[in-house]
Amino acid sequence: MGAWLLIGLVILYMGFLLIAPITALIKGAFEDGINPVLGSIRSEAFLKSLLLSVEIAVLVVGVQTIFGTLTAWVIVRHDFRGKGILNNVIDIPFAISPVVVGYMLLLLFGRNGFLSPVLEALNVKVAFAVPGMCLATLFVCLPFMIREMIPVIKGLDRQQELAAATLGANAWVNFWQIIFPQLKSALIYGMTLTLARALGEFGAVLIIGGGIQGRTETATLYIFRCLEERQFVQAYTMSIILGLFSVLIVVLADRIKHKVKFAD
Amino acid sequence: MKNNKKLISMCLMILFLLVSCSGGSQNNSANEVKLILGAYTTPREAYSQIIPLFQAFWLEETGQRVVVEESYLGSGAQSRAVINGFEADVVALSLEADVNRIQDAGLISHDWKLGEEKGIITTSVVAFAVREGNPLAIEDWNDLLQPGLEILTPNPSTSGGAMWNVLALYGAALRGKIDGVPGDDADAAQDFLKDVLTNVSVMDKAARDSIINFENGIGDLAITYENEVLVGRQSGQTYELVIPSSTILIENPVAIVDTSVDKHGNRAVAEAFVEFLYSEQAQEIFAQHGLRVVNDTVAEASKSQYPDVPDLFTVDYFGGWDVIMTDIFGESGIFTQAILDVQGGSQ
Repeated sequence: MGAWLLIGLVILYMGFLLIAPITALIKGAFEDGINPVLGSIRSEAFLKSLLLSVEIAVLVVGVQTIFGTLTAWVIVRHDFRGKGILNNVIDIPFAISPVVVGYMLLLLFGRNGFLSPVLEALNVKVAFAVPGMCLATLFVCLPFMIREMIPVIKGLDRQQELAAATLGANAWVNFWQIIFPQLKSALIYGMTLTLARALGEFGAVLIIGGGIQGRTETATLYIFRCLEERQFVQAYTMSIILGLFSVLIVVLADRIKHKVKFAD
Repeated sequence: MKNNKKLISMCLMILFLLVSCSGGSQNNSANEVKLILGAYTTPREAYSQIIPLFQAFWLEETGQRVVVEESYLGSGAQSRAVINGFEADVVALSLEADVNRIQDAGLISHDWKLGEEKGIITTSVVAFAVREGNPLAIEDWNDLLQPGLEILTPNPSTSGGAMWNVLALYGAALRGKIDGVPGDDADAAQDFLKDVLTNVSVMDKAARDSIINFENGIGDLAITYENEVLVGRQSGQTYELVIPSSTILIENPVAIVDTSVDKHGNRAVAEAFVEFLYSEQAQEIFAQHGLRVVNDTVAEASKSQYPDVPDLFTVDYFGGWDVIMTDIFGESGIFTQAILDVQGGSQ
């Protein structure tokens, strides 16, 4: 009896928080049938903004996978002055509002920014261009990979590495044969989190990118613009696509994780 | 293991495709010219119709395809974005002061007010959006003092519309056009401004955000551009337009940003675009989207839609934008003081 009450409560809670808004979204998109939905998917602005979001997210995931793992490795395995500070600094992006992140980058890369003479000389555009948006997204996604990797690297069995080295494995072989397989599961989880966060970023990319249609408009900025223009079907459709994307990523990551475990 | 490799190679392939796609779309042939428009939020629907017409016009005139990149932000925010490095070729903003700011930063070097219309492309008036059937019987400024009334108006630090709203309200009070407020009495007018601000529940960052929030059910009344209400109604919204008996004529400027067009080498097309905005064709589209226009023929034809206001004043009443930016919105300006008092008092 008590168990049923508990289950009912959980279902009610999930239904209220998750299912109700998602249902409303789908209902809104298909209010006038499927044709407006298909029409909006085919529009150039729709595809361009989705593509830009995916490009930025893939780039950010790539960079964070490499540098995030490296950072975690250095923090766990090496001792150096200022390590404690570094360890704390990593969490700053959690604390700072993305809008502020965008503005900080403007102060650096804007026309009167500290770095503007350098950019001018190199003829590189960062503010109100895609590079700035990549930097902003990198910033807000910084902690995910590192925080995911630190405990796993800490938990690595060093005996195995030493044994492999004794048997003549060089550092390269040691990494790919011994260390990497143990990190894989955490790597995938970290990549999933980073990807989801990158796809969803709004405030920072709006400030540093300016939301220029066809150039610096990401999928989330597209949704925002469509709502302002009362193009509700387009906004809902993009929201559903982004949502499906995230679900797909999570499911895929979950399956790979299971396989990895199975193989072990 | 094998499956993972497949997945990774698939991901790499997708990445490669994406990168090559985006590279391919940036081919700048001689027959294509790019134009970047940085605008405020409310005339976006009008521009979405005018731009294709201009593209057709330019293609016929020169054989060149124009690619227009558009950005819409609150007028003040857009103006600061341009100063911060957003290389807009043409800015279409809500008010002169936002263009002046770009000029003061050294990005506009020509006299943009030289033309016949002094750089003004459209006009409007400050008005109210009220709920269907006007249940609270709001007819004029003094109705805004109803206790417990929830008013929406954007934030003057980012929104041009918000500045116009404050000027309309303060001006009407100063001119003695509001019942119970003596005319030519700066203190009484500022007190009236404070009383209205007390009823303001939400200050959004742009005029469009403000009216969309109103549509979503927040507040009893939105102070906004007349054209925002008309465009909202065109899209099926049921709120109603109320124009107060005394209000300000909103004048929206457009200007070419010299540093941008010089860098992009597209001055010719930028100038043609601005000229095109004054054409009868473009002005008609502005008129269809709730804006009052500067072209006499079109203004005459659309007169029935845009009633005369009994007491319509302009920024000249305050002595122009330079005076307004210090005396009203400056650090110790009338509005700045009023909002400090109201927000300080409510905490």
